[in-house]
Amino acid sequence: MRNSSDTAVEVVDLGKNYGTVKALNAVSFTIDSGQYYALLGPSGGGKTTLLRLIGGFIQPTAGQVLLHGEDVSHLPPNKRPTSMVFQSYALFPHMNVERNVAYGLKLRKVPANEMRDKVDWMLSMVGLDGYNERMPHELSGGQQQRVQLARSLVLDADILLLDEPLAALDAKLRKDMCLELKRIQEKVGITFIHVTHNQEEALTVADRIAIIADGDLIEQGTARDIYETPRKRFTAGFIGDNNVLGGIVAGVSGERVTVDLDFAKVDIAAPGTTAAAGDQVSFSVRSELLRMVDPGQTADGAWQSVPATYLETIYLGLTTSHLVRLPDGSEVAARFVSSEDDIGSFETGQAVTIGWPSGRARLHVS
Amino acid sequence: MESTATPSSSPTRRGRDIPASPVWWQRLLGENGIQKWVFFIPIVFFVLFFAAPVVLTIVFSFFERTQFWMEPGFTLFAYENFFTSARAENYVFSMLHSAAAVVVSFVLGFPIAVFVRRRVAKAAQHRVILLFILPFMISELVRVFAMRPVLGRNGVVNNFLIDIGIINEPITIILFSPLGVIIGDVMSFLPFMIFAGFLALEAVQNYIFEVCDDLGAGPARLFGDIIVPLAAPGIFAGSVFIFVNSMGVALVPTLLGGPGAVNAGLIANQAIVALDFPLAMAISTIMILTLVLLLYVGHRLFDLTKVLEPIS
Repeated sequence: MRNSSDTAVEVVDLGKNYGTVKALNAVSFTIDSGQYYALLGPSGGGKTTLLRLIGGFIQPTAGQVLLHGEDVSHLPPNKRPTSMVFQSYALFPHMNVERNVAYGLKLRKVPANEMRDKVDWMLSMVGLDGYNERMPHELSGGQQQRVQLARSLVLDADILLLDEPLAALDAKLRKDMCLELKRIQEKVGITFIHVTHNQEEALTVADRIAIIADGDLIEQGTARDIYETPRKRFTAGFIGDNNVLGGIVAGVSGERVTVDLDFAKVDIAAPGTTAAAGDQVSFSVRSELLRMVDPGQTADGAWQSVPATYLETIYLGLTTSHLVRLPDGSEVAARFVSSEDDIGSFETGQAVTIGWPSGRARLHVS
Repeated sequence: MESTATPSSSPTRRGRDIPASPVWWQRLLGENGIQKWVFFIPIVFFVLFFAAPVVLTIVFSFFERTQFWMEPGFTLFAYENFFTSARAENYVFSMLHSAAAVVVSFVLGFPIAVFVRRRVAKAAQHRVILLFILPFMISELVRVFAMRPVLGRNGVVNNFLIDIGIINEPITIILFSPLGVIIGDVMSFLPFMIFAGFLALEAVQNYIFEVCDDLGAGPARLFGDIIVPLAAPGIFAGSVFIFVNSMGVALVPTLLGGPGAVNAGLIANQAIVALDFPLAMAISTIMILTLVLLLYVGHRLFDLTKVLEPIS
């Protein structure tokens, strides 16, 4: 099922306005059946609006939602093949775990013994065997979210919507729950759509990630695509620890674009780019690719480099950041795994040359 | 002291141990002065104006009746008088009428609370609820008295119904009757059901309603399975308030009740008018016991400590 090319969700020019405020502008995309799909973006960017439109909790101003090819744009949530897991506080506080999970089945008039079997099976699926009699206030945040998950999954919906399901959990628990969510999704094989503002969470769980900001779908791709080869300047600034620099195209030769930074010229590999001489462009280099280089090292074209002034060292545990200032005043960071940080020591104000392997910077025309 | 103080910005432990000695008014306002005793003021108030009258009411109910007052003693005469006269029967009827007022208030008032919580914009909810306080700005006496020209033989209701041809004869059972008392009680105390119901529903997270939409709980299931159980403590609190007032406020049956329509408050009033103070005290004692019993049952059922606690 995971490799089938059925389309589970198709969103066509979907838009939503609240009064004069545009929450979502004509977004279109498709999600394959059985995929774990993450909607990632800053708060207020429209990703929750998008999820709620797919779930039917709000009505679109424009466009359509198709689930398994069927237009459901104007159906209520319970008439769609979707089920929603909410941020938190969404368990019925007056029902124990078993009654919470069983409530949807009860509404569907499932026979009692079948209901009990399904509930027990689903509770063991989410790792809560034997919690049947517990009340929600006796559970931890992570356990409450597992119960919500069970309550949704037990209904055999084939698209599960998760609205910031881990936002209320602390960092360690969030990490564990991410892996747990991914494991459960692989086991049940249905489509998961997971909204989050946490990039680590999205990178961990998702097969594909869509970046949503300012009501637009900025770009989408696999976790590796999004992290390593972001196409849009926004993505580069949002995901990972990128240094984004701006300049003017000085010349294009084949797949190579020369960008004039005013204080230096660098070559950026950009196959199939639309950039032309004179265009204002930007490019990004991930901080872990930046190195202090000897000026002579760049002669063979294997490295691109710019002059800089050393600012400070910031120890972050796993990694150490070295901040430098470029002649135009912008700051960039070079990051090393702390245990492999053999850069030596620099003094504040010392002139250095900072560089990156040619071909590893990404050009952004928008 | 100054010479030993280090210029370091972090105060030393030793430095904190030597506070400047406070002047007399600082001592008076300090933690061992008024601050320590200010919390006892409500206790004094409570004992003086609540606990003492209740105890005295119970004690006086066992006193001997004299011609114009009472004298210390121990007799169950007042209770005997109560239980062997029509008063006990009237008391039970009063309870039934009050229960009816509670039910009608729930039917009329709770849906208003649900409506405000679910359909009114979040920012406007409290203002809408506050509107229901407006009737309390008018004297209870005037409000209840104003029901007479509405419910009377030639009142607004009867004239309207005759004009549109639904009835030929005026309906007389809605004023100077037990039904009139119930109508008056509902009109007077309905807002309490709205307030208490709304407060309880306000603590319910919006997600809960969305989950119900998602699972496909229709309006009836939503109301019966979710809204009423979650609002139960509030509904009970509002019900107790309405029940107690319907039992005890003598004004309503005085103005709207007929010859037979009395409530417990009016029975006690009549005993005072007849200068039978121990009887009035005995009736009040029975009312207190009724209420305590009601609260006990309610607490066992709904855990009243949750009434003002957000549900999580």
